Amino acid sequence: MPNTAALQTKIEQTSLYSTIEHYVKEFAQEVNGVLFIYSADAPSYLEKQIRGILESQPGVSFELWSGSEPGSYAVLLPGQPLDAVHFQGLLLKQRIHDIIGELDLHMTLSSFPEQGELSEQVLKQMEESTKLSPSGDIHIFSRRELRSSQSRILIVEGDPTVREFLQIRLQMQGYETAVADNGISALELIESWNPHLVLTELNLYGIDGLPYIHHIQQLNVKKAPKIVVLTEQRVEQTISLCFQSGVDDYITKPFSPVELDARIRRCIY
Amino acid sequence: MLIYGLFAIYYVMTVNTIYFSIMAFSFRNILTIFRRSAYSKYNTLSGSELVPSVSLLVPAFNEELTVIENVKCLLTLNYPTYEVIVINDGSSDNTLGVLREEFGLEPLPNPEIRNSIDCQPINAVYYNPQYPHLYVIDKPNGGKADSLNAGINLSHYPLISSIDADSLLEKDALIRMARMYMENPEETVAIGGDVRIANGCLIENGAVKEVSLPRKMWPMFQAVEYLKAFLGGRIGWSSINGLIIVSGAFGLFRKDYVIAVGGYRGGYPGEDMNIIIKLHRYMLENKLKYRVAFCPEAVCWTQAPDTYRILSNQRKRWGRGNLKNMIENYDMAFNPKYKVMGLLTMPYNIIFEALNPYFKITGLLALLGYTLMDMTHWRILVVFGLINILSGYLLSVGALILEELAFKRFTKVSDLARLLLFSALKFVGYAQLGGLWRIQGHIQFLRNNNSWGTMTRTSWKEESKAAKTA
Amino acid sequence: MYTHLTTAIYFIYVCLGLIGSGIVLLFAMKFNHLHKMKKSRQYLQKHHDYFKFIQSHMNGNSELPLPPGKLKELEGRVIQQKFIEWIDQFKGEFREKLIKLCHDAGFVRKDIKLLDSLFYGRRIAAAYRLGGMRAAEAVPRLLQMLKSERYTPLTIVVARAVAKSADNEEQLKEMLQHLLRHGKPIHHMAADIVMETRLDASRLLLKLLDDENQDLVKVALVAMWGQAIPEVVPSLDRLVGAEQTDVRAEAVKLYLSSNPVLKDDTIKNLMADKDWEVRATVAKSLGSLHAAGSIPLLRSALKDPNWWVRNNSAESLAKLGETGFEVLCQIAMNGTGVERETAMYHIERAMLQDQEHHKIDQMVAYNKKKLLYERYFGTTERRPVRQIAAVGGDYTA
Repeated sequence: MPNTAALQTKIEQTSLYSTIEHYVKEFAQEVNGVLFIYSADAPSYLEKQIRGILESQPGVSFELWSGSEPGSYAVLLPGQPLDAVHFQGLLLKQRIHDIIGELDLHMTLSSFPEQGELSEQVLKQMEESTKLSPSGDIHIFSRRELRSSQSRILIVEGDPTVREFLQIRLQMQGYETAVADNGISALELIESWNPHLVLTELNLYGIDGLPYIHHIQQLNVKKAPKIVVLTEQRVEQTISLCFQSGVDDYITKPFSPVELDARIRRCIY
Repeated sequence: MLIYGLFAIYYVMTVNTIYFSIMAFSFRNILTIFRRSAYSKYNTLSGSELVPSVSLLVPAFNEELTVIENVKCLLTLNYPTYEVIVINDGSSDNTLGVLREEFGLEPLPNPEIRNSIDCQPINAVYYNPQYPHLYVIDKPNGGKADSLNAGINLSHYPLISSIDADSLLEKDALIRMARMYMENPEETVAIGGDVRIANGCLIENGAVKEVSLPRKMWPMFQAVEYLKAFLGGRIGWSSINGLIIVSGAFGLFRKDYVIAVGGYRGGYPGEDMNIIIKLHRYMLENKLKYRVAFCPEAVCWTQAPDTYRILSNQRKRWGRGNLKNMIENYDMAFNPKYKVMGLLTMPYNIIFEALNPYFKITGLLALLGYTLMDMTHWRILVVFGLINILSGYLLSVGALILEELAFKRFTKVSDLARLLLFSALKFVGYAQLGGLWRIQGHIQFLRNNNSWGTMTRTSWKEESKAAKTA
Repeated sequence: MYTHLTTAIYFIYVCLGLIGSGIVLLFAMKFNHLHKMKKSRQYLQKHHDYFKFIQSHMNGNSELPLPPGKLKELEGRVIQQKFIEWIDQFKGEFREKLIKLCHDAGFVRKDIKLLDSLFYGRRIAAAYRLGGMRAAEAVPRLLQMLKSERYTPLTIVVARAVAKSADNEEQLKEMLQHLLRHGKPIHHMAADIVMETRLDASRLLLKLLDDENQDLVKVALVAMWGQAIPEVVPSLDRLVGAEQTDVRAEAVKLYLSSNPVLKDDTIKNLMADKDWEVRATVAKSLGSLHAAGSIPLLRSALKDPNWWVRNNSAESLAKLGETGFEVLCQIAMNGTGVERETAMYHIERAMLQDQEHHKIDQMVAYNKKKLLYERYFGTTERRPVRQIAAVGGDYTA
């Protein structure tokens, strides 16, 4: 009996995915935004609310389905590129919170073909990751989740604002990232996690500057990571000493994120 | 007897009135202080080639427990160009050994020591090119002043900063001071930093992570005392350029002037006050425009003595050094040539600081005797007591308001309540002990007892463990 | 007799009153502050998704959307604060987009209005934030502020705001003039401030070098440090002969950093300059210039009364191949006093440093030096640290 139920769900699911695929073909838009919403303790009127909120948005056409499980919904936003879907998502989340109050809401969104080819397989992954995503964060489903091998980058930065930015940015580029906020835990992470590249500030708690760079190179790892320094420190002597100690690139703040991307790419490949 | 008693009452009122005026100056400046630190970004400055380079001098005598942590902390300051010079002052413990092992230091074969100032001959200078900004001097015991002089002789940069080996600097402390220096580089001869009590705080990776008040009684009293002295007193004194002391725990100096006045004076404690008095004297006698500034936003955390014995030794030492400085420089007092220094700071320090306990105690005795003769006059005794306590308490409250206006370092409401409580409790016992210790210090001075007393330390790690479990 | 005490008793009452109100004030301030902190945290949490959105899509082609919903006073401040933090960290297109966002959200307009507030505190806070938002339209008003105020630590705050926001060079120059009119030698600070500009600073600095105001010239010289471009050489040529010592010293430093071809005569003159900073700079640069006549000059500079000159000369000698190194060895053997001290120190330093080189040619050079070293001093002997009494002392540096 439970087997049949599972089978039943599976069929329903597959049909949901194919319905979405079908709609995408029918609308024949260049881009298509997809948004999955899941809430374990959703009130029954949530669907109506979502519909109402989306309808009140000017210039937004959408299609809404409820998923197999209660509290699970899929939204198709034809014609919307990733940033627009993302913004719709956060508006939706804020409005729902305004109306219903605190509610544990999971969201995964993406836009195709920006983030890859739309297929049933991808949609299935998206829906699953919605349920599994731990925080109330809005999750952007990106190409990297489909790729198996990625370059690992360790971000070492004391300033939380910059740290957050670098992490978001590098993740969107498809790198696997880890963060450390001080020199000591950075050294530990390099040893245990073996990153391909360390993107680091020079000015850190615990250990910093040249001794820190020396320590990285003396660590017992199979392959020494590339080191890219991103720092406020602009004293020429320090910069040249850094290069002498084997730093691969040195970027001073304020920095241009586009340039940073390029430099990291050059170091990794 | 009554006359003397009344005199004592008015003496106390005068002291406190002066203190109130100084605090009024503090209040006048506090918003500027708040704004200049709130509206500055230090991180751009801290990477700039344009900031003057500094030599940090760290005298260490029997500090094997804390010295590694402190040096590590000093090596990670937010500052573009600086060097750390640790001076091992003939420690009998393994201070030098732990340093050498931790940083892999080797003796420099031919270190270049400039003999700008006389000091004891040194044994060796240790260095490791992997830590290009760290030097350790090993020399026979000669006292703190002598160590600092040796450090000056090795130092390579135009500014020097003296730092106690039992203190932790905040990452931004030095750059904040340098900013103040850069605002007026020609006239600034010395800048003092704010010293706060680290007991009870959570320390991680050589930095204070969470600010909290000490749990033990003695450090708690000192925390209250330091707040009052630094925020209430020094901000005010510095605004009229009458600052007589830059704490030995953390101060920044122009090396050329320190050398010009002959460096630090050895032999007695109180070398931190002595160097400032000498700088004042030198600048005034040579008719140079100058300022001795105080930078309360540059914070240095220090371990306060937490037992009676150590605390009393420290205070006796201060009393001794203070008296020596006053006697050495009595000619400056009431001499208009020395401006604020001669007309206000020195007289204040002699009459109202050094001699304070004598007046208070004799005044109390006189009134006590008077009351004993005729019990109906008890009221005058009460008035004397109340004036003492209330005006002192008011000053503490004032200092807390200053703290709250500009820094807000204590986040909990309970901390505020505790500060207020201990400010009041201070008058039952602690304040009197303070007077007693000062007198004992004076007696030691007169009997020519010049021992340093004992000072034991706990390592920062244990401190921090205690803070975590609390 | 109680009349004697009247003053004392009033004193007590006043104290009591002040203590009472002080304590009330303290707790009020504490609670207010804690409440504000809590609110700010809540707002940060509320807009967490929005912040993440901005960071994810800053490089898109479309404009960045305003924060959703109607913002409360503090809420706006929290968001503005975040924008300013980003603007400070980024360059280029990202920064421009965020600046525009600050405009569109009305933050700039609001703060410009605050510049006319009756409270000084609000004016200065607004000035700081306007600088953070690079608000060009606020510059004239900020310059007005600089002009009318006396010199305090907060002058620097306003000056920085101007430097960050200015959209033409004239404004920067005017800012510098206001900043330096107080007669304080704050050229390094001023240079640091000017370099915060979004504009191409090198053109401005070039112009400042030819200004008749010596203060502006100094600022330009200091600010150019490390980025001397060929175009400055003519101006520097002139400034190297300047009257004012510090201008001359800075000019020489900058001049030499551009690796010029120096005539022997020029070197000679410069090494005989009466300012030690000039001599020290020249001595340092001779190490990399490989000019023929420099070795004898450096040799005699080891006797210079100034420590930096001696030190740099010895360093340069150690860099000038075997001949230079041998000169050092000779002095260490036969010289006296400070000259010998300096030479010995730098010989040891050179021997220590060179050991670390791994390349073949460096090894060869090192081995040659080592041979020289052993010829003069033998192989095993360790010389103890010497000490001379501080008679006459060395007051330099």
